[in-house]
Amino acid sequence: MKTNGIVRGLTLAGGLLMGLAAGAQEPGVTDKAIKIGIFGPLSGQNMAYGFDVVNAAKMYYDKINKDGGIHGRKIEYVVEDDRCNANDLVAAVKKLVEQENVFMLNGGSCSAAVVAAKDYIVRNKVPYLMLNASGDGALFPPTDYIFGAFSISQYAVGGAMVEFAAKSLGAKTVAYINHDDAYGAWNLEGSKKDAEVNGVKLVVESVNPTINDVTAPFLKLRAANPDAILLVTYARPAALLIKKAAELGFNKPIILSVTGTASLNQLVGNVGKDALKNFYTQEVMIDSPGGDKLKPIYDMYKAAYPDLAAKPDHPQTYMPYGIPPAMSLVKALQDAGPNPTREKVLAALKTQDFDSGVMAGRLQFGPQQRAANRSTIFIKYDGTTMAPLPGVFTSRWTYEAK
Amino acid sequence: MDLQLALIFLQQGIASGLVSGSVYALLALAIVIIFKTSDVPNFAQGEVFMAAGYVALYLFVFQQMPIWVVLPATLLAAFLAMALFRRVVLDQVAKSAKDLVYLVIATLGLSYVLKGLVRRTGFGDTPRSFPALVPTDSVMIGQASVTLLDLAIFGTAVAVMAAFFWMFNYTKTGRAMRAVGMNPKAAQLVGVDLRRCHMLIWGLSGVISAIAALLISPKILMTADMGSIVMLAFAAAIVGGFSSLPGAVVGGFIIGIVENMVGLFISSRAIVLAPFLAILIVLVLRPQGLFGGKLTIKKV
Repeated sequence: MKTNGIVRGLTLAGGLLMGLAAGAQEPGVTDKAIKIGIFGPLSGQNMAYGFDVVNAAKMYYDKINKDGGIHGRKIEYVVEDDRCNANDLVAAVKKLVEQENVFMLNGGSCSAAVVAAKDYIVRNKVPYLMLNASGDGALFPPTDYIFGAFSISQYAVGGAMVEFAAKSLGAKTVAYINHDDAYGAWNLEGSKKDAEVNGVKLVVESVNPTINDVTAPFLKLRAANPDAILLVTYARPAALLIKKAAELGFNKPIILSVTGTASLNQLVGNVGKDALKNFYTQEVMIDSPGGDKLKPIYDMYKAAYPDLAAKPDHPQTYMPYGIPPAMSLVKALQDAGPNPTREKVLAALKTQDFDSGVMAGRLQFGPQQRAANRSTIFIKYDGTTMAPLPGVFTSRWTYEAK
Repeated sequence: MDLQLALIFLQQGIASGLVSGSVYALLALAIVIIFKTSDVPNFAQGEVFMAAGYVALYLFVFQQMPIWVVLPATLLAAFLAMALFRRVVLDQVAKSAKDLVYLVIATLGLSYVLKGLVRRTGFGDTPRSFPALVPTDSVMIGQASVTLLDLAIFGTAVAVMAAFFWMFNYTKTGRAMRAVGMNPKAAQLVGVDLRRCHMLIWGLSGVISAIAALLISPKILMTADMGSIVMLAFAAAIVGGFSSLPGAVVGGFIIGIVENMVGLFISSRAIVLAPFLAILIVLVLRPQGLFGGKLTIKKV
């Protein structure tokens, strides 16, 4: 009886110790690998926003593995399709966290969809770095777990445009067209500081994204006699407004936000070259897509995906956007040291500040800052040639708790 | 706002409103002719309009067919699709379920099928413009600037509406359709082939939607969601009177002008609300619509 009691006691103590050891082991981390979960729209109508972005992130992780990994561990990734749909995205995140047991997440190309996963990620305390989604709704108010806007924060889009209009074009009165939704409110809010500092008067018209007839908002803006028009809308209203400007003989500068078109070729097809005589477009990367400064990224893609690269629609426009979030993840893991924990990685992310060589400005997080990029360049486009203009224009917007 | 500016806004608002209103009027006409004869609001009308636009885009831009082939081919495709939908789907649904609500649900089903089909092709992923067949040079009417394309849209829409009114009033087929709308059983007793008549009506509503798509597509960019414009046509039909063909036309022009006036004199944010506000006002003050005749109450 006594011996049995000792054995039972030892077994229980051993079990407890094993349990504690298992608890100390970070999910997805072994001696040889760190498992991360990647997700993005790999199919469906929004595939263009993320398919090649995911490919770019994967090829960067493959390169890191080829170069020896991080503190001797390889990055092992599991990829899920979120179709840019909130339900699919949350399901993908749950699968990666609960079934695949990943250490951290790197995914999401569509803002509305990533916001849906916010509560789950915070509740489960999983470090999450977005891909190219701006995802401001999930980034602010800041949490300890979610970092993103590597492309650009919606809050920063309009401010950088105001800065460009004031500094490069000498505009004093700027017509500002945004959407009458949350995104429109965010980018307008972010623009006010830059307008104030530059002494620019903003004349604002907010339109519904489904608007068919833009005569009324355009006439009202023209009546304010602006020095430039900023179009901070999606592709369809932007093209309608550019067409209307040409129809009504408006010849002042028109500046289109980065959200205003996914394809400049398609824009020319929709509005005609004559409408682009005094036209500028915003770009969040260091160069225009396919430009010289981004050549190494495109070469890397060709080497990693020769079959895809041979197809006419690849790499997709947003492909390089996949590199900076992957760089951020790798840097955070490196900074977390040889025994990474989620807490160490999150601490490293909160002070991260680096130049990706891909995006226009430095990528910076901070105690309250969860949106990495606030800088853009501008390109003069006449329907045929793209001429990047000198200067990087950064929004002054910073998050302030209300 | 000074008086001079207000006058410019007024003229421009009316001119632009008449152009967009003429397209809403065409779509409202397509909705009303079906409702008058089938008692079914066709919720797929917007998607028929959208799909017809994409058929034309595919033939003209991607297949580079001549426009004299594209136009009749698009109209024919819209006619056949709608006539066959009536014959194959709706007749079958009507046979198995007597309640009209099932027919309405079938039209909703068609709307999803058409939108899904266009999305599958990939053409609907990015906004595309159908090439304008008329120059887009501007001309001044008073102080309002309109393009030659705008004038062509307005003129064609009015001509098409006039042709349909003539057909309904002065041809045997048109009279038969009106008889079906008034009393289908009596119409059948005097020799009207109900099945053929319904197919013809649904086919013609498809043709009207296709004409509307061909007219407006060079102005509004095409996406798989462009069928949402049908809400404005429903608003036009309700404002004008859901059972009145002239009412649908007048309603279309009213909605087009109200949209512009609200945008110019109140707020751009309110443009999308304007049609629904117009519906509310009409339903409160004159539930049968402006041209809806006497209000009748059905005994149940």
